[in-house]
Amino acid sequence: MRVLSAADEAQIKAHLQDAVLSCTERCLYHSAKWAAEFLNSFPSSDGDSDTDVNSPISNTRPPQTPTSRTIQDATELRLEAREAHKYLLAKTYFDCREYDRCAAVFLPSILPKGSVPHTSSPSTASKQQGKGKARVSTPSKPKVSLDGVQELSQKSLFLALYAKYIAGEKRMNEDSEMILGPQDGGVTLNKELPGIAAVLEEWFNNLPTSGRRPQGWLEYLYGIVLAKGKNEKLALEYLLRSVHNYHYNWGAWQELSSLLGTVEELTQIVNRLPQNIITFIFHITASQELYQSNEQIHNTLTQMLSIFPTSAFLQTQQALLHYHTKDFDEADEIFSNLLITDPHRIDSLDNYSNILYVKESKAKLAFLAQLATATDKFRPETCCVVGNYYSLKSEHEKAVMYFRRALQLDRNFLSAWTLMGHEFVEMKNTHAAIESYRRAVDVNRKDYRAWYGLGQTYEVLEMHSYALFYHQRAAALRPYDPKMWMAVGQCFGKVGKVSNAIRAYKRALVAGSYYDASVGSSFGSAESAGLGGGILDPEVLYQIALLHERAHDMAECAAYMELVLAQEEGQDVDDFAGEGGGGVGVTPTTSKARLWLARWEYMRGMYQRAMELANELCQDGVEVEDAKALVRDIRARIERERGDARA
Amino acid sequence: MAMPRYLTGQKISLLILVKLYCSSALPSAATIPVLSFILKHTIPSVVSNARPRRYLEHHELSFSIPTFEDVLQGYTSSMPGRTLLDVFLKLMWEINSFNALEDLFYSLGELFDKHIEENGHGIPTDRIHLSRTSPLGAFVRKSRLEWTRLQFDDCLKLWTAFIRYRAPTAQWTKRIASIASTGVDETAALMNLQSGDKLYNVTYGHLGDEPEEGANISIDDMDRLLEFQLDQLQKLGCRVPDDMRQHLRNMLAPSGALLRQSHLVKFFDAWKAGDYTSAFDELHRYYDYAMQTRERVYYQYALLHMAILQADFGCFGEAIAAINETIATARENQDMTCLNFSLSWLNHLTKAYPKQLKGAEYTGLLGSERDGLTFLKTKAKESKMYNLLSATLLNEAKLCLCTGESVSRALEYMYQASHLNVREFIGNNGSQMLIQSTLCSRLGIAHLSNTYCDLLLHCYQDSCPIDERIRATCRSAFGAVQQGRYDQALQLLEIIDLSSHRSLKLHQYVFFCIGIIKLKRAIHRTDWVACDALLSSLVTDSSTDPELSFLLSEARIDNLVARGHYWDAFNAIENLSVTLKEEVADVLQRINMLLIKANLFAKAGKSERGFSVALRAANVAFKARLMPKLWYAVGQICAILNAMGEFEPASRLLHAVIPQALENTDHFLNGTLYSHIGDSYIGLAGHETEFSIDSRSRTSNLSRAEFYIDRAQQCFKRVEDIDGECEQLMKKAVVAKLRGDEKLAEEWAQNHNRVWEEGRERIGETVVGM
Repeated sequence: MRVLSAADEAQIKAHLQDAVLSCTERCLYHSAKWAAEFLNSFPSSDGDSDTDVNSPISNTRPPQTPTSRTIQDATELRLEAREAHKYLLAKTYFDCREYDRCAAVFLPSILPKGSVPHTSSPSTASKQQGKGKARVSTPSKPKVSLDGVQELSQKSLFLALYAKYIAGEKRMNEDSEMILGPQDGGVTLNKELPGIAAVLEEWFNNLPTSGRRPQGWLEYLYGIVLAKGKNEKLALEYLLRSVHNYHYNWGAWQELSSLLGTVEELTQIVNRLPQNIITFIFHITASQELYQSNEQIHNTLTQMLSIFPTSAFLQTQQALLHYHTKDFDEADEIFSNLLITDPHRIDSLDNYSNILYVKESKAKLAFLAQLATATDKFRPETCCVVGNYYSLKSEHEKAVMYFRRALQLDRNFLSAWTLMGHEFVEMKNTHAAIESYRRAVDVNRKDYRAWYGLGQTYEVLEMHSYALFYHQRAAALRPYDPKMWMAVGQCFGKVGKVSNAIRAYKRALVAGSYYDASVGSSFGSAESAGLGGGILDPEVLYQIALLHERAHDMAECAAYMELVLAQEEGQDVDDFAGEGGGGVGVTPTTSKARLWLARWEYMRGMYQRAMELANELCQDGVEVEDAKALVRDIRARIERERGDARA
Repeated sequence: MAMPRYLTGQKISLLILVKLYCSSALPSAATIPVLSFILKHTIPSVVSNARPRRYLEHHELSFSIPTFEDVLQGYTSSMPGRTLLDVFLKLMWEINSFNALEDLFYSLGELFDKHIEENGHGIPTDRIHLSRTSPLGAFVRKSRLEWTRLQFDDCLKLWTAFIRYRAPTAQWTKRIASIASTGVDETAALMNLQSGDKLYNVTYGHLGDEPEEGANISIDDMDRLLEFQLDQLQKLGCRVPDDMRQHLRNMLAPSGALLRQSHLVKFFDAWKAGDYTSAFDELHRYYDYAMQTRERVYYQYALLHMAILQADFGCFGEAIAAINETIATARENQDMTCLNFSLSWLNHLTKAYPKQLKGAEYTGLLGSERDGLTFLKTKAKESKMYNLLSATLLNEAKLCLCTGESVSRALEYMYQASHLNVREFIGNNGSQMLIQSTLCSRLGIAHLSNTYCDLLLHCYQDSCPIDERIRATCRSAFGAVQQGRYDQALQLLEIIDLSSHRSLKLHQYVFFCIGIIKLKRAIHRTDWVACDALLSSLVTDSSTDPELSFLLSEARIDNLVARGHYWDAFNAIENLSVTLKEEVADVLQRINMLLIKANLFAKAGKSERGFSVALRAANVAFKARLMPKLWYAVGQICAILNAMGEFEPASRLLHAVIPQALENTDHFLNGTLYSHIGDSYIGLAGHETEFSIDSRSRTSNLSRAEFYIDRAQQCFKRVEDIDGECEQLMKKAVVAKLRGDEKLAEEWAQNHNRVWEEGRERIGETVVGM
């Protein structure tokens, strides 16, 4: 599908157009926006897009728009026509954010009953909490009054239940009160979930007998509800059913990708996905979120970009892929261009700010913050950008304030949790940091930075075996990031598992040589010097050597120390700056290695070599005192040996 | 756009200048001008009783960038060929992104000497380091603190404000090659953004908009500005000038910031404008907003203001209620300042409007007045409220004068007050001068009294309330009237620039003064039409100044007497003296009544009946050292003596009095006295004729009489008193006749007729003139 035929393109356009309308009808505004953006990102050269663009305006009634869509269900059409007025009422209520009222238009009595036992008696609710998920599926009461549900069209039912869901989310946020306050433990539940789940369960149970054709929307909602109830297997099933029934609901795809924890899970479900252009986009996004970046993904992305050349979403994905492979300049450029083409777009500017943070380009970050603030200062993304800026200026209190604000605007805003954790670490507030990271991880288990941060924080608290677990999680997510492996190795070393530590460090070496681009990290603290392709990280080597020393494997240790020294020179001997193929030059690490070697040689009695090394140390001006003392000792020894020899 | 709290583009520029100063780039010649420039715009004026306030002539709160140019242009920097301005602008334009601005604030921390201590060794000696407590240090620290407190979007607003602020100097960047290219924002330049681009418009698009007036003013500046306005309003008792009001409105309107002070300014403005309802409204509004922040502490002040306002508009009942509550609240809150001040004010009020207060059923809170003053004095001394102490001393002096007690004690009080004024820098000089001038006029030293008025007008013009200035002017005018210089007096009053204060009360005051002067002139000229017109327009009410209303009633009685309505005049005198007695009025006023009464008897041809009255007046006036009144009373007594044929003692009395009276240059009084002495000599001459002792002494007496009559005529002519002048001319004619010189007598008679005609003509002229 390298080149799309005109017919294919028209079909996709029609689908997208229909998706925009359908999503809007169901008040799934973000999915609608996503589809609409894609609809407008075809190459602008072809002329007939104009006529297409006009059509939705003339055809406001949903059933008439789809040109190539699966033929509409007659039953649904009939039901929808019957409820048209009520639907309009509900929709307007939803738009005015009167969610309960919206739900009550179609489900006047059923749901409140369902949720009564939970809201009215908190004591029983808290007792039930011990039983955990049981609550989700237990309520038996609602079943009695579910008859009315069957009379509703799927669209109306979806809208009503969705409104219910949103109302519950809203209340949940309100109950959580302050960010990181006593009520905000992430345990507050959406109290509408059991009711919605009951209705949907009943509906899907009746599905085979009722003769209704599923449209995909209810499955999507059920998937969300199940996922919230931690019933992920079933949620995955329903979401898959949803994307099969309706391809263009991006929300369903997003939920799907959020359920995927590892690459393996992704590959497992790939075969069960419908074959569609959206599937490719999903694949790209899911891989990006799992930090997978390989040729195949890039190829798919390039193909997609040839179809949707102006799609900001795809470009963002591309930039993020570059970001994950630490190709910051490339990512920066893509984002810059995005800014120029669409200056009012705030989506994923927080990621851009992360990139600028790592690049330490303060002025540009300031500009970005200015831009975002000028557009909308009360968007979580904006707050994150500003927070990042303040963090870069070492004003951590202010940064925390802005991350907090971001979270107030959206409690599920992942990067704000992680970044706030980083700030708390900087402010030495380890407990708050741990909580922030924990919340980030709860929101999205794929955030390696949060895992890594957790590990780091526990290391600060000297709880190494605990930290080890988190570092391992991070390393699992980023198997090719030497930093993760180094952290793992360090922890192993601290808990005394020397051989495991050595293995981890070796892994880090491998990972380090895997990336030939510059090694930096999102933590800013790492050394920014680029390492050439053939260069191994001397720090890692040194650590390995030390571990060998602990294992009393002196020969091995000495070998690694020599390796450290070797890194100093690289291929290009005279190049001190360490650029290109040159070595790292004299660093504290290499000096330490040299000192160790000098002592080692001295102990072995290889005075000449020891002398050489010690003199080199004196020349480099590092550890001069120790080196001079050593030189004196060596001289003394040599003198004495000479004396002995004479005698 | 909301008003920034403290920082503005201009303050950032000042900070840059501070930084430049600290980098030791200043040539030594420029150090003082630059430093004083910075300080002038950063240090708020000190509010203190112990220091005289400096009034900056150019109290500019917002100034544009050319001001910097003026200061810096003239000095060369250490770099050859560059002026200091170039260096300054280079620093200004080096701030080429928001980040750089943030860096600027960060780097300001390095200016402090503490920073070096932390860094320890290797102090670079070529830098100037600020102490944290120095004025510059305080300014820098305050700025940094405010910057830290700013929200990000407020920072951005400040950044754009700064860009706008420095925009006029854009052409200077061309001189410095290194920064010419970056323009407004380095990042924008790096991204090749032009001002038309979409992205540029999102971030800097609003730069092109026309900024509102006051965009460069922070709330802090505004507070200072309003504080200044309030200070002026309270101190001078004037109104906000029109153009200033327009400015203020423009500054405040777009910001939407509600500054409490602005309500207070509006309150004073409305009050002085005589707009009772708005003043009341604004006062309530101000304290409603003040209540939010400062709780009940300011309640008593609100009440105090209210009381003053009510009294000012003549609602004494409400005023008393309010001040009583003020005193109660102040006692409860242990606010001595407020308590003492309200007591002092209450004392002043009972003094100024005794009748009205009685009407409002006020019974003295402080017992007798004297006790009240003593109480206040001790209180003021205890709490070291020198301002109050000085005012109380002056009040005591005034009380001494009013009750006719010893002048030396009054003088002592006055000098004490004056000493306090000097020692503690109290701006109470105005009222002190006024009392001193009053005292002098009572002692009959008119020119000294005038001098004090002039002193007040010349030396304390700017620092004393407008009210006092106008009083002083009026007093000078009355002084001029005494000497018959009516036109000069009127001119003095007319040149008072009414637009400068635009206060209803003062306006009325001046109006009454002018009216009274005109009325006096009309009475002297026997211009009855004018008298009627003026009298009908000059109607007093309860809020009129008591002194003026007394002057007016006096003039009214004069008018009646002059027109021969003796019966009405007598009734009026009786009524007035009864009320004066009730009010325990000023001794001067009561003597005046006695004198008028005696004069009335004399006019009615029953001068003997006025003898006891005149004698009593003379007695009291002598005790109280009210010299002009004493002289007048002596004149009355002599007239009675003359009428009784006791010419010798009369002339002796008059001879004793006249030289003193001459010093006072009250021409009407002098004329009267001369006329009486002339009468005495004629009487003496006649007396001698009867007993025919010596024709020589008769001739000498006659010629003396003529001499004095001449003098009297001159005096009456000066005050334009036609009746008096004509009377003297008649006398001269009679004397000539007596001498047997018919021709001369005829001449004098014609002269008399001519003068009379001239007087009539003059009236005609004034009528036309009016």
